[in-house]
Amino acid sequence: MLKLKLALLNVLRNGRRSFITLLAIQFGVISLILMGGFFASMYEGMRENVIRSQLGHIQIYSEGFNQFGSQEPEQYLIDPDVLKQVVEQVEGLEQVALVTPRLNFTGLLTDGSKSLAVIVEGINPDKEALLSSAVRLTQGEDLFDEDLEGALIGDGLFNSLNLEIGQSLTLMATTADGSFDARDITATGAISTGTREVDNRFIRMNLKHAQELMYTQGVTRLVVLLNDTNQTETVMALLQAQFAEKGLALELRSWSDLADYYHEVVNLFDGIFTVVQFIVLVIVLLGIVNTMVMAVMERTPEIGTIRAMGATRFEIISLFVSEAFILGLIGSVLGVVFSILLAQGITASEIMMPTPPGSSQTYPIRIFTESDLLLKNALFGLAIAVISSIYPAVKASRMVITQALRFA
Amino acid sequence: MSVVKLQQVSRAFPVGNKPIVALDKLDLTLEKGEFVVLRGASGSGKSTLLNLIGAMDDPDGGEVYIHDQALSTLSDRQKSKLRSRYIGFIFQSFNLIPVLTALENVQYPLSLQKVPNAQAKARAAEALEQVGLADFIHRRPNQLSGGQMQRVAIARAIVTKPDIILADEPTANLDSETSTQIMDLLGELNVQTGLTFLFATHHDFVLSRASRVLELKDGKIIKDDKLRGLTSVKTKAS
Ligand SMILES: Nc1ncnc2c1ncn2[C@@H]1O[C@H](COP(=O)(O)OP(=O)(O)O)[C@@H](O)[C@H]1O
Ligand SMILES: [Mg+2]
Repeated sequence: MLKLKLALLNVLRNGRRSFITLLAIQFGVISLILMGGFFASMYEGMRENVIRSQLGHIQIYSEGFNQFGSQEPEQYLIDPDVLKQVVEQVEGLEQVALVTPRLNFTGLLTDGSKSLAVIVEGINPDKEALLSSAVRLTQGEDLFDEDLEGALIGDGLFNSLNLEIGQSLTLMATTADGSFDARDITATGAISTGTREVDNRFIRMNLKHAQELMYTQGVTRLVVLLNDTNQTETVMALLQAQFAEKGLALELRSWSDLADYYHEVVNLFDGIFTVVQFIVLVIVLLGIVNTMVMAVMERTPEIGTIRAMGATRFEIISLFVSEAFILGLIGSVLGVVFSILLAQGITASEIMMPTPPGSSQTYPIRIFTESDLLLKNALFGLAIAVISSIYPAVKASRMVITQALRFA
Repeated sequence: MSVVKLQQVSRAFPVGNKPIVALDKLDLTLEKGEFVVLRGASGSGKSTLLNLIGAMDDPDGGEVYIHDQALSTLSDRQKSKLRSRYIGFIFQSFNLIPVLTALENVQYPLSLQKVPNAQAKARAAEALEQVGLADFIHRRPNQLSGGQMQRVAIARAIVTKPDIILADEPTANLDSETSTQIMDLLGELNVQTGLTFLFATHHDFVLSRASRVLELKDGKIIKDDKLRGLTSVKTKAS
């Protein structure tokens, strides 16, 4: 009780030094929270972008598609009768916002003079408009169900072929039975998915028209959009169980299973974050250790006196460590408060970020302050303070009592 | 049973290549209730002797016993506990903790003994009353005069009811009138409580309080006078 009070009074005793230590701790806590919060917002932006432009939350395929589908995609289509049953079932779940089919194949797009290999996606325009909210129309008009021949061209592709809105094009593809066929399509608009690579070779067209070209009634996949990304695991498990029960030969993939690029970026940035964390740790540590060593030196006679009165070495260590703990606690709390204020200020300022890697769209900077990030870094600040007090505290405890007393 | 016993205690400090002998094969026994004045010129070894008895320093030869406990056999932790239980210190420069009030300074050694807070507070207030500072218990050291600070230090030394109080020139920083008052106080405490005092000084005016006077020179005891009978002190104490 009195020991704690003494520690507290000692913290207050040298205001300037405590202030410097507090600043160092706050610097550490704030920089890590802001950086972590920025990364978290970036991860979320990437995740939601890839979900709402390409992947949805969950994709449903015919069994075997993910293993063999790349060789013989036409062998692993979902049949129309299964499709109907599954759509009804999935739509019945309260977590599901919508479910829509896609037919994917590769083809050759020609404008009469040039031909380019393209990735084609046959879609249900009305539903896809809701799902693919992150797909931006950069020119022209969207697709609609009644316009069979309409197609949206990735804007990279659109520009490289020097297309115009309304221009007629020919799309060739290998059909489901192995022959070769072609259909005319009309470029009604240019789109950007946010991923440049995709935009350079991507076409979206009406599912019915795509099915006619491919001679099939089936679809490659069903894409499910949920109300909340956090529900992905739950719904996956639910659907898995239902499909098994009904004996449907289907397989499921979550956005996370499919978003390799997202995971690569997250891993890279997590690595960067770890390095920065280490650097901040060292900077703050060096900053505090120095001031704490000075505090110990200054109080040499006091340490001698307390030891003479019978304090053990451990009690001397615990005195200085508890002072550091108090400083760490105050510094962390202040750091968290300032971090929240700064994060809100920066987010409200809507400063535009440079384009993220591999992306073709820019976003205003956002910094998330999720509670686990705040807690983790508050503990980090506390730990730094305590760790940096150990060396000076041990030094204090090892003082020769008679020599320490001579400085009185 | 003797409170303190030294057998052939030597202590030398290495200075350059020729060590300075601060204490030379010293034998000494202190009995309970004695008020021992330790005289000697500056550099005669008084502080060195007090440090050894106070279990804060180790002899190079011989053995120091507190309550028949040989200090050389104790760990640092055990010596700390022994200091806490049996020894009180009074220093020349008072050595109060500046951020604590008088009451808290006196309470501190009790908190090291893990005495519950309320009880420690009561005992500290009582000790401060014994040294005549009942009205100053909430002052910080910088709000007290030198004599008052030393009274707080005395209260801090007696509050744990130690067996011996080691005072190393406690009046050296005080004017002569205040010094006399402090000496009177220590003498009274010796008589009232039977506390054993070992009091190092190079002044003569303290001698009237002494029951025994030791004189040190070059690390040796050259004089050991018992001035008044110990029995009288014991009678008054009991
Ligand atoms: N830590 C030390 N290092 C070197 N010499 C010391 C040390 N402590 C005491 N001495 C020497 O030992 C002798 C006795 O010192 P001390 O016990 O302090 O005498 P006093 O207290 O009587 O003035 C002196 O010569 C002093 O210089
Ligand atoms: Mg001395």
